[in-house]
Amino acid sequence: MAEVVLENICKTYGNNFRAIDQLNLSVKDGEFLILVGPSGCGKSTALRMIAGLEDVTSGSLRIGGVDVVDMPPKDRDIAMVFQSYALYPHMTVFENIAFSMRLAGKPKAERKKRVDEIAKTLQLTSLLDSKPANLSGGQRQRVAMGRAMVREPAAFLMDEPLSNLDAKLRVQMRAEITSLQKQLGVTTIYVTHDQTEAMTMGDRVAVLKGGVLQQVDTPKRLYESPVNAFVAGFIGSPSMNLFEATLKGDELTAGTFAIRLQDAAFARRPGLRSYAGRKVVFGIRPEDLYDSSLESGRKYQTIPARVTSIEELGSEHIVHLSIDAVRVDSGDPDAVDDFGRASNAVAKFEPVSTARSGSEIRLALDDSKLHFFDPETHLAI
Amino acid sequence: MTRQKRSHHKLRRAVAPYLYLSPSLVIIGLLMLLPMATVIAYSFQNSAVLRRDPSFAGLKHYQAIFADPVFWASLWHTLYFTCMSVIFHMTIGMVFALMLNSDRINPTLRNILRVLYILPWLFTAVIIAVIWRLLLEPNGVVNSILMQLGIIGSKVEWFSSPETALHAVTFANIWAGYPLFMVSLLAGLQGIPKDFYEAADIDGAKAYQKLIFITIPQLMPIIISISLLDFIWTMQVFPLIWITTGGGPIYATEVLSTYTYKLAFSSYNLSQASASAVVILLISLGLTLFYIRYQRAR
Repeated sequence: MAEVVLENICKTYGNNFRAIDQLNLSVKDGEFLILVGPSGCGKSTALRMIAGLEDVTSGSLRIGGVDVVDMPPKDRDIAMVFQSYALYPHMTVFENIAFSMRLAGKPKAERKKRVDEIAKTLQLTSLLDSKPANLSGGQRQRVAMGRAMVREPAAFLMDEPLSNLDAKLRVQMRAEITSLQKQLGVTTIYVTHDQTEAMTMGDRVAVLKGGVLQQVDTPKRLYESPVNAFVAGFIGSPSMNLFEATLKGDELTAGTFAIRLQDAAFARRPGLRSYAGRKVVFGIRPEDLYDSSLESGRKYQTIPARVTSIEELGSEHIVHLSIDAVRVDSGDPDAVDDFGRASNAVAKFEPVSTARSGSEIRLALDDSKLHFFDPETHLAI
Repeated sequence: MTRQKRSHHKLRRAVAPYLYLSPSLVIIGLLMLLPMATVIAYSFQNSAVLRRDPSFAGLKHYQAIFADPVFWASLWHTLYFTCMSVIFHMTIGMVFALMLNSDRINPTLRNILRVLYILPWLFTAVIIAVIWRLLLEPNGVVNSILMQLGIIGSKVEWFSSPETALHAVTFANIWAGYPLFMVSLLAGLQGIPKDFYEAADIDGAKAYQKLIFITIPQLMPIIISISLLDFIWTMQVFPLIWITTGGGPIYATEVLSTYTYKLAFSSYNLSQASASAVVILLISLGLTLFYIRYQRAR
């Protein structure tokens, strides 16, 4: 077990493309850190640099206090779980798990003892003689975990290990990996583009965009206090609704509607007053928007909206809306998927809502849950 | 649809695949099975082809060729020529494929090498035979270079000396045949996921361990398939040997194909030639069955 520290890490490729820019990150001993971001944000590159599979252009990288920048992967005391699992198809489960011990010249009896222990932990005992081709996705995933565990490394590195599984199995494996990590207490860095994994698995989450670290924090704080519009848009599903508005006194005006802000909103953000008479970006999460005809929405102020489509999920309705305001792009490429052409906002309504596609409704919003961002820098106010 | 119409439709559906297959089956039957059956029949006849009413000879011609020391010499030469060719085709093909697949070699150089290494494949057997006859003649380039390097003291008659002739034709055949292995193994190497090597790097595998534990097992299906095919093809090589040495000197490079040819068209003993051809057929058939079984098992 060890602390992993990245200081001013940069990665520039031959064509001058900078994949990682001044990355500073400290992963505490035994911590489960999630690296998350949209495709091409540099999260896998960062993980591969920690593993030693990519050269570091500049900066310092320490694992357990030792500078490992010039060390080959085998000497870094890490183990990696690949997205494809990288299980050798010609070897049995036993041989796959024991491979690193075999390379290290460990005696057969020692290999068997260790593999048996791991197989028991991962419920693979009955599958030790099987070849990977005969295993299910979840079993292969467990074998990949076993191969990482057998080395008793200082840190686990996992590169989107659940992305090849179906949705149901992913939920199960999410829980299994989390509990295994807690049980082993090994420092773990886990890369994913799935923010549900990010929010549910890690002690802390580091959000990357364009090779630049945006925010590192606990999932809860990341969700409640995003440092910029990108993090606000990226974390949460569906994404936070972001709109342009003008702050006039204590009112936020956009198009044909105005939202009155409470004193508490200004008290929490002293900087907000300085935007008086100027444009500001405000954000609200889909779960903080309500159907005003229902009890849950009656206590909030309302704005006019037209329902464009509804996804009935049983436990909730995802309602796509059109409101008279200019939507702001958070810079998250995945967020575009949440909005159709006709809609510019998304809300989560209770399943008892009677709102129908095409109907004009009053949309209630919890103004205490509003987020504010600078329209130029997109930084949180 | 009436019952009659339905059964007519069923019959048409059942017959259709055989109708599509029939042209190729007729061609294979006329050009392969019929000659093969004829050769087998000839091997049991006295004065086959030469007489209108040849008599039944039983196993006489088989006994004759098995009693002929030249046949056994030819069989040994064929096995030596084939085994050495296959082993070196595979070894050279593997080394070149690994070189061409390596990131450590400059990409431009790799492209140039790729063209150079594949060149032998572009030549027909006749051209290869002519090239190597010129290179290996007593006053040729090879002798000149070896003498300048001090490896040999006097000119060697590579194709004319009984000690060197078989090695020389085997060498020429190795040179001509390795590109098939190289191209096939290179395609196989490019299909091995990079993750396997990265996982092995993290596990602490050295280069030779990666070769033994990952590369070779991953290439094994290709290695076995191509080796078996090469074995079958090389056993039947005729033009290269015929043009370079003609099976000589003093039967030093006589292989089953040249032995059979001479029996048929020099001695006009077509019955014994047929018996010899049947022996070649049986050896090839054994290997082919082994290849088919291996392919099925996969």
